[in-house]
Amino acid sequence: MLTMEYAVKPGSVAVCFVLVALLWTFPLQHAIAYPFVFLFFAAVMGSAWFGGAIAGFLAIALSTFIITYFFIPPFFSITVAKDSQSFLAAFILCAIAISIVSSARRRSESAVRSARDLLETKVQERTAELLRSNLEIQESTRQLRMLTEAIPQQIWRADASGRVEYCNQHLLEYIGGAAESLRDESFFSILHPEDASQFRQGWEAALAAGGRFEVEARVRGADGGYRWFLVRGIPQRSQDNGIAHWYGIHIDIEDRHSTQQRLLSAHEDLSRFSRTTSLSEMAASIAHELNQPLTALATHAAACRRWLQADPANVSRASAAADMIVQESTRAANVVRRVRSLLSKTDYVREFTDLNSVILDLAQLLRDDAIRRSVSIHLRLAEALPKVEVDPVQIQQVLLNLAINGMEAMAEINGEKVLEIGTQLQGSDEIQASVTDHGPGFSERVKSKMFEPFFTSKPEGTGMGLAICRSIIEAHDGRIWSEQSEQGTMFRFTLKVSK
Amino acid sequence: MTNLSGPVETVFIVDDDAAICCGLCDLIESAGLKAQSYSSAEEFFKRWNAGMAGCLVLDVRLPGISGMELQAKLMEAGVSLPVIMMTGHGDIPMVRKALKAGAVEFLIKPFPDEELLQSVQQAFALDRSQRQADQLVKSIQARAATLSQRERQVMNLVAAGLTNKEISEKLHLSVVTIKLHRGQVMRKMQAESLADLVRMSERISTS
Repeated sequence: MLTMEYAVKPGSVAVCFVLVALLWTFPLQHAIAYPFVFLFFAAVMGSAWFGGAIAGFLAIALSTFIITYFFIPPFFSITVAKDSQSFLAAFILCAIAISIVSSARRRSESAVRSARDLLETKVQERTAELLRSNLEIQESTRQLRMLTEAIPQQIWRADASGRVEYCNQHLLEYIGGAAESLRDESFFSILHPEDASQFRQGWEAALAAGGRFEVEARVRGADGGYRWFLVRGIPQRSQDNGIAHWYGIHIDIEDRHSTQQRLLSAHEDLSRFSRTTSLSEMAASIAHELNQPLTALATHAAACRRWLQADPANVSRASAAADMIVQESTRAANVVRRVRSLLSKTDYVREFTDLNSVILDLAQLLRDDAIRRSVSIHLRLAEALPKVEVDPVQIQQVLLNLAINGMEAMAEINGEKVLEIGTQLQGSDEIQASVTDHGPGFSERVKSKMFEPFFTSKPEGTGMGLAICRSIIEAHDGRIWSEQSEQGTMFRFTLKVSK
Repeated sequence: MTNLSGPVETVFIVDDDAAICCGLCDLIESAGLKAQSYSSAEEFFKRWNAGMAGCLVLDVRLPGISGMELQAKLMEAGVSLPVIMMTGHGDIPMVRKALKAGAVEFLIKPFPDEELLQSVQQAFALDRSQRQADQLVKSIQARAATLSQRERQVMNLVAAGLTNKEISEKLHLSVVTIKLHRGQVMRKMQAESLADLVRMSERISTS
């Protein structure tokens, strides 16, 4: 528009308009008595409109000339009669006014139009830009989604309250349901009952603190089987530092877990095996140690008798043999002494110990073992127990032995397997600890002999466990015994409160 | 016990326990026998020579080369010294293995003196008969060595049961010549009869 406006020369515009006005005025002039000039006003207006102010003035000049020449007497002369001079002046003034007004209007109108055009292009550009960025956002969202689906882990997103909003395909396939089955309470229902409470504690603590959380738990799959997962949740903070979302990932650690379990059980087998072999090896080596001097002794004694029975008796050889007999019996006695000192060779340790903390440490130690055996361990610890002066390692050994015995005793039972470990104060100077299982218990005969060395009711037992427990407790001036009731078997031992 | 024809029979004891070695020596000497002790298989090999006669009393568990290995090594070397095994840990497979490998007896410590002395006597008898057999073979071999090649041929054929006539046909010689060779063989081999010659021929061919 702008370019066209300037492309048309103002002169030709003015000439065109004025010529048109002239051609129309000639025929009209015959019908009207006074000089008809209105078409020239229109020509001035049109020139100023289309050609600008310069074209307007050119049209005025041209029109003035033509009117003076053709329509104001004397006709066909550029002189103006005196009575027509005022008319001409009025015409010129009017034409100037029209030209100015027209060109001004034209200017403002084109300014408005160009502003509008500018606005329109701007709007178009913006719209295109917006469209492009929208596409980009869609593309990046799609890529992100593809990425979350490509990761071989299960991923979810939850709102600030922990309500699951999105799950990736892996998670949906694993649980075999919609994202709704992860909402609110139903999330806990797909966890193994034994892991649910621990999971809930961890999750609620993380929600309250707004921190990361990480729990290992068994999650039920679509086929009803459980697999171990490492469940990790990370909060995403909004600008006002509140939590905007939770992002969660479930990492399948079943293989790692089962390897670990196999390793543990292999380790257990190994330690049981080495315990029994070391015992039998020790017995064999003691037997050999004793056998050597006994053999020497027997041969010397036989030789001695022969020297004496000879004719004549060889007394000097006989007495040499008798010396050897004495020497060898001393050697045999030394072996016995050495074995005895080896068995009682324990460093004497006594520390002021909180029995409850020993039990809490033990519960940690037993956790994996208990899970493997599906046993839940309940602790019933008396509060504010006075300290005892004991060897904590030995007391822990006693408790460990009793706990493992208890768990083994419940191996065959159906239903809930609960092992209780408790402490309580007896009077003012004695603490009693107890380990209770709900196994089938044992006969009176077993009960009367269970603390004796080498007595065992298990096919691969050494028969030393309870004997060692008793010797440890007795070395601490305590007592150990067992009680049976309908609920199960309870092993109790006492320790003196240190003064 | 004296054996005028051979070396003095000795009980060779190999045990790493000095007290047991000493006790066994004492016991064997009290029975009027000769004893010698070694603390390891290596020491025994160091002092061993082919002229040793008697028997070995071996402990199964020895430092370094074990008693069983020592027995196997002697077998390999063709030493026929009888072996009596002893152990402080009586386990049946080991006993069976040792007896299969030719041990005279397997004693589990501690053992009564008579048991050892009886085993020793048994082993001595075995050793003696083995050495006598060895000596016999050696003397026959020495006599056979004096035969000419033709005489040896004749002896082998005679021992195989051929008649003079058959031999003469086989060797393309006259019967008279064969008879002469045969007489020479009987004389050189100091054979008392044909049967005696056949036995001698068998002995040197099997050994």
